[in-house]
Amino acid sequence: MDLPLISAVFAAFSITMYVLLDGFDLGVGALLLLQSHETSRNHMVDSITPTWDGNETWLIMTGVTLLAGFPVAYGILMPAFYIPLTVMLLALGLRGVSFEFRAQMKQYRQWDVVLGIGSIVTACMQGLILGGLIQGVAIRGDTFGGSVFDCLRTFPFLSAACVLAGYVVLGGCWLYLKTAEESRHFAERTLRLALPAFLILFSLACVTAVSIQPEVRAVWKTHAVSLATIVGMMALAAVVLFDGIGKRSDLRPLIAALSMVSLGITGLAVLIFPNIVPFRLSLWEASASRLSHIFLLGGAIVVTPVVLAYSAFAYWVFRGKTPAEGWEI
Amino acid sequence: MNMDAAMLARVQFAFTVSFHIIFPTTSIGLAMFLAVMEGLWLKTKDAIYLQIYRFWLGIFAMAFGVGVVTGIVLSFEFGLGFARFAQIAGPAIGPMIALEVLTSFFLEAGFLGIMLFGFRRVGPKLHFLATCMVALGTLMSASWILSANSWMQTPDGVAMQNGRLVVADWFNVIVNPSWLYRLPHMVTAAYLTASFLVAGVGAWYLLRGKHTRFGRKSVSIGMSFAAILIAGQVFIGDILYGTMLKHQPSKMQAAEGFWEEQSQSPAPYYWVIVPDQLHQRNRVALGIPYLGSIWLTHSLHGRVEGLKNTPRDRQPMMGMVFYGFRIMYGTAILMFGIAVTSLWLRWHGRLFITPWFLRALVIMAPSGIIATLGGWYLAETGRQPWVIFGLLRTLDAVSPVPAGALLSTLIAFICIYAFFMTAFLIFVFRIIRRGPEATPEHAEASGSLKNALRPQVIESPTATAVLGR
Repeated sequence: MDLPLISAVFAAFSITMYVLLDGFDLGVGALLLLQSHETSRNHMVDSITPTWDGNETWLIMTGVTLLAGFPVAYGILMPAFYIPLTVMLLALGLRGVSFEFRAQMKQYRQWDVVLGIGSIVTACMQGLILGGLIQGVAIRGDTFGGSVFDCLRTFPFLSAACVLAGYVVLGGCWLYLKTAEESRHFAERTLRLALPAFLILFSLACVTAVSIQPEVRAVWKTHAVSLATIVGMMALAAVVLFDGIGKRSDLRPLIAALSMVSLGITGLAVLIFPNIVPFRLSLWEASASRLSHIFLLGGAIVVTPVVLAYSAFAYWVFRGKTPAEGWEI
Repeated sequence: MNMDAAMLARVQFAFTVSFHIIFPTTSIGLAMFLAVMEGLWLKTKDAIYLQIYRFWLGIFAMAFGVGVVTGIVLSFEFGLGFARFAQIAGPAIGPMIALEVLTSFFLEAGFLGIMLFGFRRVGPKLHFLATCMVALGTLMSASWILSANSWMQTPDGVAMQNGRLVVADWFNVIVNPSWLYRLPHMVTAAYLTASFLVAGVGAWYLLRGKHTRFGRKSVSIGMSFAAILIAGQVFIGDILYGTMLKHQPSKMQAAEGFWEEQSQSPAPYYWVIVPDQLHQRNRVALGIPYLGSIWLTHSLHGRVEGLKNTPRDRQPMMGMVFYGFRIMYGTAILMFGIAVTSLWLRWHGRLFITPWFLRALVIMAPSGIIATLGGWYLAETGRQPWVIFGLLRTLDAVSPVPAGALLSTLIAFICIYAFFMTAFLIFVFRIIRRGPEATPEHAEASGSLKNALRPQVIESPTATAVLGR
């Protein structure tokens, strides 16, 4: 059995779950800065409070899967993205404690600003990492051979803007589902602006990626049909989403947005597979030994279904519109 | 890799991990305490237990939150600062950390929401189950992390092939020689930490004559746990000492502060030393005569092995190891004294009315955290110069990241963590000052999720109706 491949699929699954779930958390966080009404901000935060830290766990899962299954890649990528990763971790930290400490305050404004900035910085840093990956990572032997500043170039910044816009779309859709009245109108207005912005940035990023990274061009030649299909379906999802804004179904925009982002991740997977450090190191070259994969996957196979069931249960417990007075009392 | 970058990477890791361990220690202990309190409440229906539960739930939630965000940093920092370590050790510690995330972290994340915010949404039994699951999750989390760290202390079950580490036997990796003793040692430390925190807050109320019933119950419960746990801890610590003496003699040699291969006879027990690593001697050494022989060799004139038994290039820095140990051990002796005194006072019915003892309890409230930090400094600095004992030197493990970047992020970590700590302490003190008894108007007037963390909720009519069902 090709264990490294299965571990890689698990890592891809984790990062997809992370982007989809924490994506809307971060989007809602970023939107806090645009919402001046305190009551509405409370609704927004209440809508993500019960589940945000569970969502964030998928990011750690991705990281430790890399460490356990592909230690060579982990040891190359972490130093390569030292700056955006460290800043992201600090921003995630600020965001995390804002949730906890916000609950202790009578005046939330400062914490909402911290939460908002933390969310935006986190999203942008993830975009920088994504852009840096596509742009290419320099390798010397088994180690990172470039400069830690390599990822601070034009393309990664474009990618950062794109990821932020994508998360804001997800966040808008989440609010559209979970809140009512004023907050839902706010979500509508957000979506009408954020979706076109995301689409423009995404198209720009695609075109730029092709021009700066020959490998992307090569993949477009070899996998033209599948990539074109994916882009076509993303466009379709975007249309469904845009059309759904303001209509009765609360859930439709979120489903459409999640589909759109999932398709985007699938496209990335087509670009990067079978490498784990894009275009440089295949997942088999970076892989740990057999027993490490067996242990990792054994745990993952047993526990992931249980974990998904737990998460589903948590979402079920906090289902429906977030009560105007919050979850408790 | 130049020395500056290596040193900065180490200082950054030491800072972030020291800061982190404070919060899991607190939350592992409080989670079990909360489970016991809710269990007692379900059994006795005495509202005081629910009041205690609600009071500590808010503090637990904040400690847990800070623990999570600072823990995330660590799981990436293996690679950020020590890429070579990650590449070598990844196959062994990676799966253990992955399992930690899978089994316990998700469990906590899934049930923590219900524990904190789900009181109205699920029945009391299911809520109790959620609390227990969170407590169990923190335990399993500790178990995996201790396995990974103990493997770095006493690596076993692996082989080197072509410069890459290959796991040969998982059982030996997980149940490595020191894990079996270090896990109960750490878990007991966490429970002790919670016991002293609870008792300390209770004593503070009693000294002020406020919330008397809450205060008495807290002091009583906290000191009961403390008395049992500290006895167990002395026992576990003694076994662990023997284990480490066998597997990492250099650590224990440094911990006792002696340099010569055989110390003088009778050996004193040092409390203050100024070690001079370069000349392999102590500039100053103050201790209690005979006690070293008695404690360490169980005889009046026994000699203790010094650090010169370990070749120079394999010696840890004595000062860090020694003082880490002394801080842990000294604090533990004080905790033991407090626990014994509490039994004496309880026997005479004066546990709640002896002001000097209550004051001592307030001062000792953070003692568990201090002892735990000391213990980790002993464990981690004593392992040096290795990052994986005997397998990989710390200096060879460092990432190719320039010193400037490391210094900038170190400063950023210090600033942001200082901000976390300040905010955390402000809010904890605010909760304590406000007291466990509620002012009902508050809970009725403003109503939102945040109130789940507020003690007032207990007293509000809505809550009483819901919780009392």
